[in-house]
Amino acid sequence: MRLTVRDTKEEVGNYIAEYIVKRINSFKASKEKPHFVLGLPTGSSPLPVYKRIVKLHEEGKVSFKNVITFNMDEYVGIPRDHPESYHTFMFKHFFSLIDIDPKNTHLLDGNAEDLYKECEDYEAAIKAVGGIDLFLGGIGADGHIAFNEPGSSLTSRTRIKTLAYETILDNCRFFNNDLSAVPRMALTVGVQTVMDAREVVLVVTGQNKALALSQMIEGGVNHMVTASALQTHPWALVVCDEDATNELRVKTVKYFKSIERVQDEVEAKYGSATSSRLGLHKATAAVVQQLYIISRVQRRI
Amino acid sequence: MSDVVRFTNGYLALPDGTAVKADLYISSSTGKIISGQASFYTSHLPPARVIDLGGNILSPGFIDVQINGAFGVDFSELDVDAGDGGEGAYVEGLEKVAKRIVATGCTSLVPTVITQKEELYSKLLRLLQPRSTPQGAHMLGYHAEGPFLHPHRRGAHSSALLMTAAPSSVPSSPTSPTFTPIQSPLEVVERVYGKASLDQPGVKLITLAPDVEGVMDCVANLSGRGVTVSIGHSDAALEVAVEAVEKGARMITHLFNAMPPIHHRDPGVIGLLGHPLPSSRPYFGLIVDGLHSHPNTVRIAYSAHKDGCVVVTDAQSPLDPMLEDGLHNWRPGVMFRKKGDAVYARQYSRADGSCCPLNTCLHNLSTYASIPLPEALLAATYRPAQMLGGPIARRKGQLKEGFDADLVVLGWDGTVVSTWIMGEEVYTAPSGQVGSGLSLKDTAS
Repeated sequence: MRLTVRDTKEEVGNYIAEYIVKRINSFKASKEKPHFVLGLPTGSSPLPVYKRIVKLHEEGKVSFKNVITFNMDEYVGIPRDHPESYHTFMFKHFFSLIDIDPKNTHLLDGNAEDLYKECEDYEAAIKAVGGIDLFLGGIGADGHIAFNEPGSSLTSRTRIKTLAYETILDNCRFFNNDLSAVPRMALTVGVQTVMDAREVVLVVTGQNKALALSQMIEGGVNHMVTASALQTHPWALVVCDEDATNELRVKTVKYFKSIERVQDEVEAKYGSATSSRLGLHKATAAVVQQLYIISRVQRRI
Repeated sequence: MSDVVRFTNGYLALPDGTAVKADLYISSSTGKIISGQASFYTSHLPPARVIDLGGNILSPGFIDVQINGAFGVDFSELDVDAGDGGEGAYVEGLEKVAKRIVATGCTSLVPTVITQKEELYSKLLRLLQPRSTPQGAHMLGYHAEGPFLHPHRRGAHSSALLMTAAPSSVPSSPTSPTFTPIQSPLEVVERVYGKASLDQPGVKLITLAPDVEGVMDCVANLSGRGVTVSIGHSDAALEVAVEAVEKGARMITHLFNAMPPIHHRDPGVIGLLGHPLPSSRPYFGLIVDGLHSHPNTVRIAYSAHKDGCVVVTDAQSPLDPMLEDGLHNWRPGVMFRKKGDAVYARQYSRADGSCCPLNTCLHNLSTYASIPLPEALLAATYRPAQMLGGPIARRKGQLKEGFDADLVVLGWDGTVVSTWIMGEEVYTAPSGQVGSGLSLKDTAS
C-alpha cells in the first residue's frame, strides 16, 4: 500500500482526479476489453475528486466514452430521485457533467423486487465486463469501506447490509432529522469485491478520519476496520490530507513521503504508465525502500 | 434517438424569487420539462443537445395578461365587412403576433379587447379561444376590458360604447320576433359577451368596474363559472372594491391607471393592497414602462403587496422592438408618434398607450423596486399563472417537472437571448446580443 499526503482536501482531489484521468487515457481498448471499468464512491470526501475530473473533462482532457462505472452502494427503500439517494448524488455531481453513456453506468437498485438477486446480478455484471480496473473509495470514521461496517467479513461480496446505529444517527441530518425516515438498510459491494479490483485508490480527508486511517495503515488486518483489508491488496493507493495524518506516527508519514519521491523518479525515467509494467505496484514497501536507497546512492555517485 | 435538451451553466429562476445554478432538462418531443436524472437512469438517454447558458438566467416563459396588440395588429379590430366576417384576417393577425412576440420573451398572452361595439364581443371572444401557432406564443384566451367601465375612468375607451349592467340599459325592441325581456344584470352581461364565450375553455379575464350599476351582482356568478374578474376603470370606494373581492374578483387592472389616486381617507380600489388579510389582497397589473406609473409609485405598490404584483405591457399595436421612433399610422385617420417605449396619439397626452416590451418592463421593475431580476420575473411567470389558476397554474409559470417547456433565456440586464416554446427554440437573439451572463468563476457551488 502506498500513502500519498497532500496539504488540503482540494489538492487530494486534484491528485486523485489527475491520477484516474491518466489511467483512463493510457488505457488501450482492445476487442476483448473495450472499456475501462471504474468503481466509484459517494460522499463528501470524493467530491473534490469529481469536481476536478469534471473540470478536466470540460477542458477536453478526458472522455468517458469508453468507461464503465460501478457504484459501491445505495440505500434500500428510498426513491431513486430522493435528494439523498446515491443515484441523485452521482447524477448531480458526476454523470450529468461528463460524456458517459448512461448504459455504461451501474448503480445498485435499492428498490429492486428481489434484493438478493439484484446483488448477485451486480457481481455478475462486474465479472461480465472483465472486472474493475480501478476502484475509488473512501473510508468511514470507523474505518469502513463502502457499507462494510465494523465486523463485516473481509471476504464479503455484494449483499444487503443493515446500517450501524451510529451510521443511521449520523445520516439523520440528511433526512430532516427524522430518525424514522433514515434508511436502515443498504446494498453494498463487499470487501472482497473491492479487493478484486486491479487497483484501489482511497481518498481520506479530514481530522475525523485520522484515527481510522492510522488503524487501517498501522494496525493489523482486522474486520473491525474493514479498510485494513487493503494492506493485502497488491496495488492500493491511499491519498490523504495533512489533517487525516494526525493520528499516524511521524515515522510512518515520513516514510511514505519518501516513497512518493522514488515513485516520481521511477515514473520520470520510465514514463507514467510503466509502473504497473515494472511490477512496481506489486512491490512491497521494503522493495520500494531499497529502490529509494539505490537511487540515492546513484545520485551520490 | 434522444430528444432531451439540457440547459447548463446558468441560473434557474425559481418561484421563490431566487436563481440557482442548476441544470434543466426538457423533452423536445413532449414539450415538457422532465427529470434529467430519470431520463438518464431509466431511458438511458443522454441529452441530444446541450445549451450553454453562459451564466444567463433561464426563466419560465413570460405570460402577458394584458396586451391590446403588437406589430401593427390590433386585437380589438374585426373587419366585419370582409367576406368571412373578418375572421381570416383576425386569425392571421393573431398568428403574426404569436410568432413575433417571442422576441420579447413572451410565450403566452391573453389578447385584450378594449371596449367595443356590443355586437362584436361574441364574435371576437369566440375567436380568442386558446390557440397555439407552431413556433409561436400561446394565446391563452381573452381579456375583455369593458364595456362595463366607469365613464369617469374610461381612459382611452370610447364613452359612447360604455355600458351599465342595468336591465333597462339594453335597448330592445318589443316588436322583434326574438324579443325576450331582459330581467337581470347577469342577463345583460351574458348578452354582451355571449353565454358561450363566458363558458368557453381557456382563460376568460374580464375587467369591469364594480361601481357601475348592476355589475356587482354579476361578480360572484362570473367567478364561479371560471372567469377571472379584474377590477379596473373604476371609481369605486374601498368598501365597494372589498365587496367585489369578497365575491371573487382576483385582480386589479393596471393599478393606478384609470382609477382615482389613493386618498388617505378613502383609499379606493388601490386601498385593496392594504387589506388586513393578505389572502384578501388581489393581484394587480402594473404597467412598468416608467411612464404609466412613476418609478417611486411602482416601488410603493410593490412594497405594499409584492405577492400580488403582475407586470403587464398593456401594449398597443405599435409594440415592435424593431419599429423606429417617429410618426406612424395607427387606426384609419389616426397617427401616433412612437418615442422610445411610449406611444402618443394626442398632442398633450402623457401617454396613450404603451409599447414597452415585457422583458424591459421586468427589468424596470427590478430597478424601480430595487429587487434582483429573478424576483422581478415572478411578476410575469409564477404570479400570472397562479392568478389565472386552473390548468395554467398547473402547466405554466414554473421550471418544474411536468410543466410546459416554455422558456426564456435572459441576460442579467433583461435582454432576451433565446425563447423556447414547448421545447422548441423559436427565437434566438442575433449574434452579438448574447445578454450579460454572470461570470461563473466566482460562483462555484
